[in-house]
Amino acid sequence: MAQQQFIIERYNPDTEESYEESFDVDVQPGQTVLDSLNAIKWEQDGTLSFRMSCRHAICGSCAMKVNGQSMLSCQTQVDSAAERGDPIRIGPQGNQNVVKDLVVDVTKFLDQFERAETWLEPHEGQDPPEKEYRQKVEEFDHWSHASTCIHCGACYSDCTVAAVDENFLGPAALAKAYRFVMDSRDSKRTERLQFLSEEQGGIWDCTRCYMCVQACPKDVLPMDAIMELRTMAIEAGFTNNHGTRHHKGFTSGVRKRGRLDEMMLPIQSVGIGRLLTGNISAHKEMMDYTPGAIRLLKARKLLKIAQRHGANAEGREQIQRIFEEVETEKHHHNVDAEAFGAEFETAIGGH
Amino acid sequence: MLQHDVLIVGSGLAGMRAALEVSNDPTLDVAILTKVHPLRSHSGAAQGGIAASLGNSAEDSWDLHMFDTVKGGDYLVDQDAAEVLTREGPENIFELEHMGCAFSRDDEGRVAQRRFGGHTAPRACYAADRTGHAVLTVLFEQLLRRGVKVYSEWYALDLVVKDNVCQGLVAYDILSGQIEAISAKAVMFGTGGYGRAFRVTTNAFASTGDGVVMAYRAGIPLEDMEFVQFHPTGLQGSGILLSEAARGEGAHIVNSDGFRFMENYAPGRMELAPRDIVARAEQSEIEAGRGVTTLRDSVFMDLRPIGEERIRYALPSVLHLARDFAGIDPLDAPVPIQPTAHYSMGGIPCDINGQVRIKDLDGAPEITGFFAAGEASCVSVHGANRLGTNSLLEAVVFGRRAGRGILDVVHDLEPTNIAEGDMADAVGEVDKFLRADGPEKVGQIRAELRDTLMDKCGVFRDDAQLRECLAEVKDYQERFRRVSIDDHGSTFNTDLLDAIELGHMLEYSEVIVTGALARQESRGGHARRDFPTRDDDNWFRHTLAYRPQDGEDGPRLEYSDVNMTPQYREPFPLQERTY
Repeated sequence: MAQQQFIIERYNPDTEESYEESFDVDVQPGQTVLDSLNAIKWEQDGTLSFRMSCRHAICGSCAMKVNGQSMLSCQTQVDSAAERGDPIRIGPQGNQNVVKDLVVDVTKFLDQFERAETWLEPHEGQDPPEKEYRQKVEEFDHWSHASTCIHCGACYSDCTVAAVDENFLGPAALAKAYRFVMDSRDSKRTERLQFLSEEQGGIWDCTRCYMCVQACPKDVLPMDAIMELRTMAIEAGFTNNHGTRHHKGFTSGVRKRGRLDEMMLPIQSVGIGRLLTGNISAHKEMMDYTPGAIRLLKARKLLKIAQRHGANAEGREQIQRIFEEVETEKHHHNVDAEAFGAEFETAIGGH
Repeated sequence: MLQHDVLIVGSGLAGMRAALEVSNDPTLDVAILTKVHPLRSHSGAAQGGIAASLGNSAEDSWDLHMFDTVKGGDYLVDQDAAEVLTREGPENIFELEHMGCAFSRDDEGRVAQRRFGGHTAPRACYAADRTGHAVLTVLFEQLLRRGVKVYSEWYALDLVVKDNVCQGLVAYDILSGQIEAISAKAVMFGTGGYGRAFRVTTNAFASTGDGVVMAYRAGIPLEDMEFVQFHPTGLQGSGILLSEAARGEGAHIVNSDGFRFMENYAPGRMELAPRDIVARAEQSEIEAGRGVTTLRDSVFMDLRPIGEERIRYALPSVLHLARDFAGIDPLDAPVPIQPTAHYSMGGIPCDINGQVRIKDLDGAPEITGFFAAGEASCVSVHGANRLGTNSLLEAVVFGRRAGRGILDVVHDLEPTNIAEGDMADAVGEVDKFLRADGPEKVGQIRAELRDTLMDKCGVFRDDAQLRECLAEVKDYQERFRRVSIDDHGSTFNTDLLDAIELGHMLEYSEVIVTGALARQESRGGHARRDFPTRDDDNWFRHTLAYRPQDGEDGPRLEYSDVNMTPQYREPFPLQERTY
């Protein structure tokens, strides 16, 4: 048996006081963080509050921050959470309001599922079969991993977009939407793709930081699902939105110049056509870029960006070949070149 | 005061399925009240499958399923209920499938089915080894779609019944600490089981038998509470469930000699004998000194005969649980397992429409407007021992039936109105704990209680141990009067809830032990060393335990007949139960 120090971020709603408190716990080999919190609650301080129920990683109650990263406390061994002698820091999930100690208000997170209507909508005016719908093993295997979500909120807690955008649907709700887009029993595939690409806070708001995949205690891979949704949305023709135009602009810039055309990208993202036809909201969107541009100007960076050269002839030729290869691949494997542009953007360090 | 036409307590499979059914009538106002968010309900922890005679993998029929269920339950099963369960099974599975349930598929694209203990055909429909999670999720999705009102993280304190008519509920809002009366014409309990009173258990922290005890306190007897199922494959120590699907897929169980000892206990079924039989075999091997690990308190389950690829595909949760919670990789080594308290066969007595009813007693009325389904209820479809994969099916089939049972009567029921005075018990209970300053601690008493029940009312029982057990439980009840808590706040006070739950555990534990002490036979999950055989002449009957009235020392036991009148076939006659 060894002693382990836990430093817990606490919040008392009656006094509205936030503070840290340290507890020492005797730990056995194999003891989990949740076991340790229970030992504190039952033997040292009954006022410590946290959610828990199944204690084997299926009910999703006990996600919290352990040393800054969200995880299920029941699934986390004390040994794996700390180097010998180091304290373990425990805090509530991020991106949500704290109710008391490690309990957060999960309403905002859970409301996103309702907003994205993540339930099966059967085919209207069409009776279901007498028995089950037939579904190929390959089809089921393609999406079933996304149905393993336990709604623990770890992905949402660590999401870097949810941190700055109240409106973001978030990784879990988007992954769940993906699961229905992929399920042949659902009748709203097209409507879902349209909603997810055009809704404020939809698939195009993800910054691909990968935190959700890292935090997820199951096999959901939310970010991968979001990327696949982007591809499907473009293929389904939902291209008249900021996200798609941004990626198209990005790709065409790279294709033409061999590098990102940062001067043109805002214009392309808002839409040259929309701007030329005097679309008021398009002009408003352009205005949104003004403060940033002014800051760049003041920092004397704008001119430098404008003066940047593209790649040399050899480089351009190489990039051209990459595009051609991708398009051949697309032909063979049905990979969309524009969606690939999104991948490419990260590969070359776009933003 | 809050008011609904129908109030469903508990949001697992039974509760949500019932709520969906009631919501088919748009004129009715239905709400669910649950102490954990619906997606956290313990139904989600069910792993291996949900039974139904679809016949997708091999020929099957509801009769055969019914026979397996009756025999599996050691004939204490009410045969009208087993018939309903098995006849309505397939349509319920198809309904879930049409709602979008993520069932695994066979090569024909149909719902895949596999073998399970005690079932003669492969009839466990499954979603890898997270079937409960898949069904729970899909029911919640449909509930959201219907816009059913959910009181999430509300704790039911007291069921209000007057002159055998249910009035509604008194409940505690965990977030705010407010106590509210919720009147309803019909109340249904789908509040789950009571396995938390045992040290080694698969059950969630939430499975504290709250609904069962609320019914008991309201004057309703509890049925067959002594029948607790010990699952043979709990992880050593924690008791965390490793799905029976592992054995369904071909895992072996061996003792310290590496011998597949089921050969000596159930040669016809080996590891796929019913759970009570496998659990007793394990316990016997352990007690004979053939246990494994340094503690010798467990046996090995070896998954390697299944093959790596199939383990990864069909048993991903088992793989992860062994790795994360025991530090053992089942691809490389066998996993130490032990019997773990898993399922509560007993509960609130009700008929096949979910109507709570005190069975077969002259003049004993139904409780108007009160329904139950799922593990909290005792319909009794599992008798003395439940077969794996029948619990999810029961929750769905009888949840739906309870919903329909409510629809049949609710329009004729009078609106109810819970008065201030009806709230006194609940308000008093909360107040008592918030003010208490005694020396005893909830965590300490609870730990002792769980040890006592595990060690003295476990897989095997006998008169002397049960008497000790009962005395200790009564002692804990006495000490509990002097308990105090640390948290006196009103926001998310889980310290208070722990105390209330321990009160429930102490109350139903007495019923379990009293029933076990009285039942001088061995049947299904109730194994008496001093009465090792089944005694149909004296004990082919259900136990009904009434809460002690003034002057009574413990629960008053009465007994009722087992139903032998299925509607569509002859009853299965009593037979010796061997496998």
